Amino acid sequence: MSSTTTEKGTFGTMPTWLRAILVGGFIYLFLVGVSALEAGVKVMGQDTQERLFESVSNPLAGLCIGILGTVLVQSSSASTSVIVGLVAAGAIDIDTAVPMIMGANIGTTVTNTLVSLGSARQSSEFRRAFAAATVHDFFNVLAVAILLPLELATGVISGTARWISERLVGSSGSDWKSPIKQWVKMPVGWIKDFWSWIGLDGNTLGVLMIITGLVIVLASLTLITRNMRELIADRVERSMNTVLAKGNGSIAMLLGLLITMAVQSSSITTSILIPMSAAGVLALRNAYPVTLGANVGTTVTALLAALATGSPAALTVGLTHTVFNVAGILILYVPPFVRDVPVYCAEWLARIAATRPVWAVVYVMGAFIVLPLVGVLVAR
Amino acid sequence: MLSFFRKGPIGLEHLVSKAIGLLGDARHSFDLATLALLTDTDAAAVDTDIRETDERMSQTEQELRSELVVHISVQGAADIGSAFGLVLLTNKIERIGAQTRNILDLAEAGAHLAGQPDTEALLAERSVISALFGEAAELMAEPDEDAIEDMSRRCEALQAEQQEKIAGYLHSTEPGEVVVPRAIYYRYTKRIVANLLGVVIAASEPMPADDTASDGLSDTQS
Repeated sequence: MSSTTTEKGTFGTMPTWLRAILVGGFIYLFLVGVSALEAGVKVMGQDTQERLFESVSNPLAGLCIGILGTVLVQSSSASTSVIVGLVAAGAIDIDTAVPMIMGANIGTTVTNTLVSLGSARQSSEFRRAFAAATVHDFFNVLAVAILLPLELATGVISGTARWISERLVGSSGSDWKSPIKQWVKMPVGWIKDFWSWIGLDGNTLGVLMIITGLVIVLASLTLITRNMRELIADRVERSMNTVLAKGNGSIAMLLGLLITMAVQSSSITTSILIPMSAAGVLALRNAYPVTLGANVGTTVTALLAALATGSPAALTVGLTHTVFNVAGILILYVPPFVRDVPVYCAEWLARIAATRPVWAVVYVMGAFIVLPLVGVLVAR
Repeated sequence: MLSFFRKGPIGLEHLVSKAIGLLGDARHSFDLATLALLTDTDAAAVDTDIRETDERMSQTEQELRSELVVHISVQGAADIGSAFGLVLLTNKIERIGAQTRNILDLAEAGAHLAGQPDTEALLAERSVISALFGEAAELMAEPDEDAIEDMSRRCEALQAEQQEKIAGYLHSTEPGEVVVPRAIYYRYTKRIVANLLGVVIAASEPMPADDTASDGLSDTQS
């Protein structure tokens, strides 16, 4: 019996060093995409920007749009990168972006919930899988329920992020000389020149640049995730076995953070936990901290995107994502008397779903599509 | 947490090593149990060692199964064939362990085959079976079609001999206290040999390949 050690991914079997270089190239492409998106929004006039984005100024609408946008692209990394790009372009401000960022946190949990539905035919497996998926949902919803009103009333989350951003790059009023912005300037110029050469200008040029930027962001994130997964799969496997063996919450959280930072996708990390939970190999209380670590780890992408923009406001928004998730852990996980609340909620919902799996589908449709749509309509 | 940064045994290689370790424990138990039955070794003395080995084997089996789930969850279904093979061979090693405990139970029940006219032959056969454990472990690590075929032939020949002896004891006119322990012992060792061969086959070809060439005839002929 021989193990499969060849790395298959984007281009079949490939030496590790070559795949690592490829990942570097995709990261560069991702930064180009964010920068192109920012440039596209800037090309559109101020009036157009205001018309397009006025509806998200309502926090509830912003939260729901954050959820819906993330469900649509199945990636909080992609949606938060777009939000960062919009802030950098001046289309939305920090206060408008914060609820959208929180919404992205909720929207990304749809992926592992969908993965858990694969076990629907086996009642006990499904109960465990669904609980492992929805504990992430409940944590994010509870975190938003506590922190969004607090943020709206006091600005504590964005204020903390702003404070950190000012220490790093200066105040929001000035641009800082991001070296990454200089590196991506030329390809963004080529994209703009290409669409201009075709004969496009004004809002049409802006829209095409935004679409081009979006496509590049989504494609590059997918390729980064796929190839990083191949690069570090063995390390992830070893780490997961450690989590099973040691069962320590802090270690599990740190491993969730590391794995997600490496693969650039919280959905990959949390989706790995589902079959393990379904099989009964990973207990819910051991899967939960890995999920929280993944929540923090995924904020790296928005920070990376902010570096491509050279905008302190964009960096503040990226840091808001991180601060929000860390605050959520401090409020909902660290104190022992509240730690089990998301766990009990997930177990309760899983019991219902295991008895009547149709309720699981109703939950997914309701929580991730219907309610956010209603929220957008109501808040407009 | 440092496990993320450390290099170490990876993926299926690690799982196969663990399974080989499990087989090694099974061999240790077999050697001790047969010593208790075929020599003057006190059965009670080896009982504790075998029980501890048993517990260690149960623990390893649990870990192996968990790590297989982790492997498939993380790496995807590319290794599903090998993972299936590992599950099968773990089950077979578990059965070997069960048969070994049966041999110890036979010794503890009072059966004693030491100092008998056929003891030398029994001990010689014991050595052959013990060596088969080592051979199986090598073939798990480095499958070799020719070696597997050769082992298969020898195992089948050995099983045929053992079956012949069991059949002989069933129709023997010798006293029950002579034939019954021997018949039972040969039944257990025959199962052990069969499972050892099963371990090697599961490691190299967990699902038998279907080489039936129908050339599509069955699609058109009623």
